[in-house]
Amino acid sequence: MRKRRITLAKVAAAFGYAFLYLPLVIVVVYSFNDSRLNAEWVGFTLNWYRTLFADDDMLVAARNSLVIGLCASAVSTVLGTMAGFAMHRWKTRVLPILVLTPIAIPEILVGVSLLIFFVLLNFTLGLVSVAIAHIAFCIGFVAIVVRARMAGMDESLTEAARDCGATPWQAFRYVTLPLIMPGVIAGALMAFTLSIDDFVITFFTAGAGTVTLPLQIYSMIKIAVTPEVNAVSTLLMLLTLLLIVIASRLSPSLLRSQESTP
Amino acid sequence: MATGAREAAQVRGKWLVSGPPILYLLVFFAAPTLIMAAASLRTPGEFGGLAPLVDEAGKLDLNFDSFARFFTEPVYLEVFVKSVIFATATTVLCLLIAYPLASVIATSPKRVRSLLLLLVILPFWSNFLIRIYAWMIILGPNAALARGVNGMLAWFGAGPVPLLFSSFAVLVCLVYVHLPFMVLPLYANLEKHDPALLDAAQDLGAHAWQRFWRITFPLSLPGVYAGAALVFIPALGIFAIPDLLGGPNDTLIGNLIKQQFLETRDWPFGSVLSIVLTVAALALAGLAAWFGQRATRARALVDA
Amino acid sequence: MNRIAKLAACVLAAVALAPAAPALAADQLHLYNWNNYIAPETIKRFEAQCKCEVVQTYYSDNEELLAKIAAGAKGYDVMVPTSNAVEALIRGKQLMPLDKSKLPNLKNIDKRYLDTSFDPGNTYSVPYAMSTTIIGYNDAKMKELGLPTDTWAVIFDPKYLAKVKGRVTVLDSANELFAAALKYLGYSANDVDPKHWDEAAAAIKKAKPYWAAFNASSYIKELTVGNIWLVHGYSNDIFQANLDAEAAKRPFHILQGMPKEGAVLAVDNMVLQKGAPRPDLGLAFMNFMLEGQNSSELTNLIGSGNPNTAALPFIKPEIRANPAIFPTPEVAAKLEQLKDLTAAQRRLRNRLWTEIKAR
Repeated sequence: MRKRRITLAKVAAAFGYAFLYLPLVIVVVYSFNDSRLNAEWVGFTLNWYRTLFADDDMLVAARNSLVIGLCASAVSTVLGTMAGFAMHRWKTRVLPILVLTPIAIPEILVGVSLLIFFVLLNFTLGLVSVAIAHIAFCIGFVAIVVRARMAGMDESLTEAARDCGATPWQAFRYVTLPLIMPGVIAGALMAFTLSIDDFVITFFTAGAGTVTLPLQIYSMIKIAVTPEVNAVSTLLMLLTLLLIVIASRLSPSLLRSQESTP
Repeated sequence: MATGAREAAQVRGKWLVSGPPILYLLVFFAAPTLIMAAASLRTPGEFGGLAPLVDEAGKLDLNFDSFARFFTEPVYLEVFVKSVIFATATTVLCLLIAYPLASVIATSPKRVRSLLLLLVILPFWSNFLIRIYAWMIILGPNAALARGVNGMLAWFGAGPVPLLFSSFAVLVCLVYVHLPFMVLPLYANLEKHDPALLDAAQDLGAHAWQRFWRITFPLSLPGVYAGAALVFIPALGIFAIPDLLGGPNDTLIGNLIKQQFLETRDWPFGSVLSIVLTVAALALAGLAAWFGQRATRARALVDA
Repeated sequence: MNRIAKLAACVLAAVALAPAAPALAADQLHLYNWNNYIAPETIKRFEAQCKCEVVQTYYSDNEELLAKIAAGAKGYDVMVPTSNAVEALIRGKQLMPLDKSKLPNLKNIDKRYLDTSFDPGNTYSVPYAMSTTIIGYNDAKMKELGLPTDTWAVIFDPKYLAKVKGRVTVLDSANELFAAALKYLGYSANDVDPKHWDEAAAAIKKAKPYWAAFNASSYIKELTVGNIWLVHGYSNDIFQANLDAEAAKRPFHILQGMPKEGAVLAVDNMVLQKGAPRPDLGLAFMNFMLEGQNSSELTNLIGSGNPNTAALPFIKPEIRANPAIFPTPEVAAKLEQLKDLTAAQRRLRNRLWTEIKAR
């Protein structure tokens, strides 16, 4: 019985993975396409990778995107976890609205309003202004996931810890956090994904010399998005994957949730 | 004695934890957004931006003209309804595809779990534009998929349908782009389900579908709602996908809002459309959450 | 936790240091330009000459530029907006007047493009490059179907469109499409009579069912591959599409069709932003780009029109002979630059445009 149910779900999941990866296979394969356009397969070439490594602008943009992505996801994960925890624990009224609205408001409005705000404060635009903007809309995603994870969580463990004399921080750090870790990780992954691919808000909050990868790529949209973009995307994906694998090797408990064993 | 101190500590704790996010969002989100929301009451600048707050006569130039426009020209409401339909369809399809994925990942052996999860999100670290271009290749009129579909249709005597530059293409890409935001919350929730519950149910004679529908699904509802919110709300405001591969009729509210800020340079009206969109999105999300809570509570009462 | 913190710090440091960012030059010119709108050799030569660094950031749409400047963005020296955007920027008081004494090469520009109605005496802007919005087509398919390629009717008239249903795209720009429709109906592209606008909207709605999409971004790709056979697009893009089609050895060419009713001419201009950090470098750059050979390099690269008479000897002969890039005087007389609209007119146009697109 049980085997059959898992099999049906597994088949569906396999289709799901296929759906996710079909375009990606095309992206990677076309990075070797001997044609300026991302439209049809013409021939095999490594040229685009060579072009990429000679293209300082693109590399700097990729580096900026990675740095902003890591920072934004780190800060928004921390703030988002706090928000999600608070929303679940104390059922505040203002926080859910404050956290959900950045997700609901059209990006172009957020971008323009942040630009006006920064100009009003005479804040120099640059990488920092972009990071600040990214953090603002990522917090909501992390908070929602963390709260969903905490829903229905067994509070008795935390209370037991408190009864044993743990401070609230210790109870959180050693009991609650490991239990919600999959939610926190899921939120961090989403935040990173949102940050490295954001265009509209970044366009408005970037300074005069600041380029991120989406800005660089979208500016090519009316001419030709060459396979160089496929190449940089492929490499960025591999690099990020590598970073995460390294991080998980160095801290094995990070990506797995703790068992709630006594 | 200790309770008073403990309560005070509780309140302090509450502000310590919810304080930083609230402060950050108030400064870097609420304040700027309110500035622009206030723009909905202003007059558009002659050459873009906003007209001066105090006009030549020295009066404060605030009015509801832009709001009036939204409510008196029905075409905007039509586009809005179309966006809601697209977003709902996207959410439902995402749920159907994401649930098996999240469930399989959550029940897989611990050592592969993180890898499987990373594999879900890995494609989304490539650039959005080239992923969409990849879909344009897949859905192109000369590609295998289109030829297969149109071949089948020809068999039935129906004319060829374009897969690219159509609502179908828009929907496929909407689902694709939002899938991880449904998978991740669902996974985070499903991961903590105790397999012992399902074992017990099986021992009591429940078959697969019953086990899923009466145990797993209700327990996963918070994850479902989280995922639905994180898909529906952004999908409502999207504009890039219709721009790139939509048909001539596929204009969504996100496109209209972008137009107001760019081509028409009518920021007040853009602000009005944004406010309506945001309020509607939050209201629908709140409504869904409320229904969800009622349903869970009702079920608890029934099952008890 | 500590190990994670250390790891994170290492990763961030490594990422931050490589690839090595260009050494911080004291002299930087901030150029806000369209992507691929200046030849790399030209930039390098200018950098060598002025001993400075050119920092380019990009936009892909005039309106994006206008929105960002209107919201208060600063820090740019030279920007390259199209004429109607220049008009909006001048009226919005966002440009710095040019010191003509530093622009001796201005005399190279063809008089037809100087002293325009929106910038009399070229106080704020100098012409840079041009393009026209015309028809692009797959020559094999058009011959096979027997369709004309020198009139807007092939985009708007159902009797022609019926043969190419689903294989035509038009630009996703209210200004451009309305201009084309007005030209098709025999009016000026800058006509602001609401009755004429209604007629244009009706013509567009009649043709819409035959169009595959309103697309300003991916249509060139589809044209080059052969999925789309006829487009309403920019001359530079269509020129490039032909180069790509040839490079991919396709059995057809992508040609430019100049409609006999006339078309929109877009002149892109170099301007200085008010409050630019280095106006001296900006003016030096402008003078450099007004020099014949430097100006010609862009034309040779992307097939853009060139208002610079001193550049003509340096331009490749086949480009020089292309009537869509260097139109004859009769055709040039029918080309119009778009004027900026008032707020009320923009609102009306947006309502018409929304109705066209939503229904």
